[in-house]
Amino acid sequence: MAYAYLFKYIIIGDTGVGKSCLLLQFTDKRFQPVHDLTIGVEFGARMITIDGKQIKLQIWDTAGQESFRSITRSYYRGAAGALLVYDITRRDTFNHLTTWLEDARQHSNSNMVIMLIGNKSDLESRREVKKEEGEAFAREHGLIFMETSAKTASNVEEAFINTAKEIYEKIQEGVFDINNEANGIKIGPQHGATNATHAGNQGGQQAGGGCC
Amino acid sequence: MESLYYFFCLYANLKPQSLNNFYQKSLYKEFSFAFILPGDVLIMSDKDDSEIPVITEATSVLEGANCEPPENSESVDQSTETENKSEPIVSTRKRPESKPASDIETAEVFPVQESESKDVPQTGWGYWGSWGKSLLSSASATVATVGQGISNVIEKAETSLGIPSPSEMSPEAKYAAGETNAKDNENSFPMAGPFGVFSTISTAVQSTGKTVITGGLDALEFIGKKTMDVIAEGDPGFKRTKRLMNRNSTLSQVLREAKEKEELWTYNEVTMETDKKTHYGLLFDEFQGLSHLEALEMLSRESEIKVKSILSSLSGEELQTLKLELEQLKEAFSLAEFCDEEEEEKKGDEDFTKEITELFSQLHVSSKPEKLTRRAGGCCFLSPLVQARNTAHEWIITSLTKPLAEEEEGGKQLEAGTPEQLNKNSVEDIHAFAIRSLAELTACSIELFHKTAALVLHSQKQEVTAIERSRTLSQMTVALCNELSSLSKEFTTCLTTAGVKEKADVLNPLITAVFLEASNSASYIQDAFQLLLPVLEISLIENKTGSLRQELQVQTPLSEH
Repeated sequence: MAYAYLFKYIIIGDTGVGKSCLLLQFTDKRFQPVHDLTIGVEFGARMITIDGKQIKLQIWDTAGQESFRSITRSYYRGAAGALLVYDITRRDTFNHLTTWLEDARQHSNSNMVIMLIGNKSDLESRREVKKEEGEAFAREHGLIFMETSAKTASNVEEAFINTAKEIYEKIQEGVFDINNEANGIKIGPQHGATNATHAGNQGGQQAGGGCC
Repeated sequence: MESLYYFFCLYANLKPQSLNNFYQKSLYKEFSFAFILPGDVLIMSDKDDSEIPVITEATSVLEGANCEPPENSESVDQSTETENKSEPIVSTRKRPESKPASDIETAEVFPVQESESKDVPQTGWGYWGSWGKSLLSSASATVATVGQGISNVIEKAETSLGIPSPSEMSPEAKYAAGETNAKDNENSFPMAGPFGVFSTISTAVQSTGKTVITGGLDALEFIGKKTMDVIAEGDPGFKRTKRLMNRNSTLSQVLREAKEKEELWTYNEVTMETDKKTHYGLLFDEFQGLSHLEALEMLSRESEIKVKSILSSLSGEELQTLKLELEQLKEAFSLAEFCDEEEEEKKGDEDFTKEITELFSQLHVSSKPEKLTRRAGGCCFLSPLVQARNTAHEWIITSLTKPLAEEEEGGKQLEAGTPEQLNKNSVEDIHAFAIRSLAELTACSIELFHKTAALVLHSQKQEVTAIERSRTLSQMTVALCNELSSLSKEFTTCLTTAGVKEKADVLNPLITAVFLEASNSASYIQDAFQLLLPVLEISLIENKTGSLRQELQVQTPLSEH
């Protein structure tokens, strides 16, 4: 419960690329082959540790359907990180990346860390998009890149954590103004408690030890 | 109506009041009235229950406060008992409620409360709805920060506890004015909880002579001790303080010691409360209530911007017509039904699921229901709400029937005084579950509103008008708040049943906490409902002129920068 930072993430990309499955794998460590269509946005949260610090990831899993597009744009604001997902077995989902990227850049803050994810890496036989293509796209647009499989959990942890590491580094470099919540970063109660009363402080620390 | 909420906060000790202020203003008569109020609240809220120990105790305290000492032997006995047993209880308590402290605070708002209790209908919903509404009117749109609000309030409650710091009290004592009024003081200490020490000391300090101005602390201490001796004669609940005074020769030392004890107690409590997860704000967040509220707020804000931009682009008759329609829409959001919704309450329990499902279908928001409701039995995001509610009800029923059944079997065992064995769920368990259920139900309700907003914005064709939808949504809000109200009543019934053997100063704070969180829940739901207004406004406008939709997206890009 007690965390040093809270990062807001959004997951975006075409419908059916496995956004909700990636989230479920990351938060619950399980895979669900059939998923309800996401309406608007769904949420997930998990605590991770970076550099010995507890970081809470608050993940907004948006609807991929075109008809929800204007609604999901509303949710972009205030995200520190974005996972832009495509399906390696469907070339059209890769082709749409530019539109998604434009959308994301337009509706969120310029410092947002974007991780490009080629999902369904377990379906090698049905692959339509080469790994090199993904890498090239990421390089061209200044993104981090990874191929994942929500089904086998391959690289799923890494995708979320590496994004967080990048954000954390940006904080250390002073790129992010952590006091501006529009950047999708909140300072946790642990940090805020430094000036709090003796009693409150001790309570907070003990609570931190109890969970996670 | 706002004042009732205000009172509620005070009673629950959430708003630390300046005690110095109180010392200047307070009269002893107000003091004795203050003790009526907690009982009053319980009577209002638990009217259906004929035998609730809490009420009895609170009522007898009231008698004690108004009667002459010789006549109140019964209440004195009770307070003695409370006093003697309160110490071990302190360490197990979770909520930062302090009887005497809140009593002191309540005294300040007493006149308001008096009129309130007359106005408030004794029917459950009238009571709930009205203060829910007052919250509504006072609630700002800064919903996203609600979580912080909750924790702030709780932190405040944890740290302040309405207790004056001894350092503040000492100078107060030096300049204290007023004659020693032992007789009044006798009647002012019927309640002696964990803070009995404090309330007694503070009052004693206050009542210590106007005549002592230059006497210094020594003289004050002497008079203070004398005064306390006089007080103690008629007030058995004062024994502990007296004991303290005998052991420690100076008043300042007593105060310092009490402060240290207080700090330690606060610290213990903070730890325990967090550990045991009865923190409404944390639970609400855990059930993603905050996220949904934040997301809903985003949709609401975007819609508001759009509406404003459209209105500014219109003029003349067109603008007037639209304004008129928007006005009608606003009326549907005024929650007027809250007042005349009394029959609603008489409906059976099972009807909630049916009602909410039916209301939701009346919204006609899912244009492609087969796609949106893959799960059998309704909408995929309606089911958690219904499930949460049913789980809570089942839990209450088991919790209420179990001890009763066992009671019948072993009636004598009960008399022997082993409530722990009979009641599987301790009052703390019930309290924790109640808070959890309220948080979950509220989070689910907010999710429902958020999803509704998304679907309203999403659906292209409308089978029902925005005004019809607004009315349905307003009915949903009423239904949800009704449900919260009845749920909290059931939980408090559980608490009073399970807590027959508990002392009022253990049970009352738990009951208060349940009611308080239920009131918070109702206000979040109503806040969320209000956030839907701009969404329906834009939907009304778009429905009027389908072509506006495209136009609008060109005019107002979604981002502000």
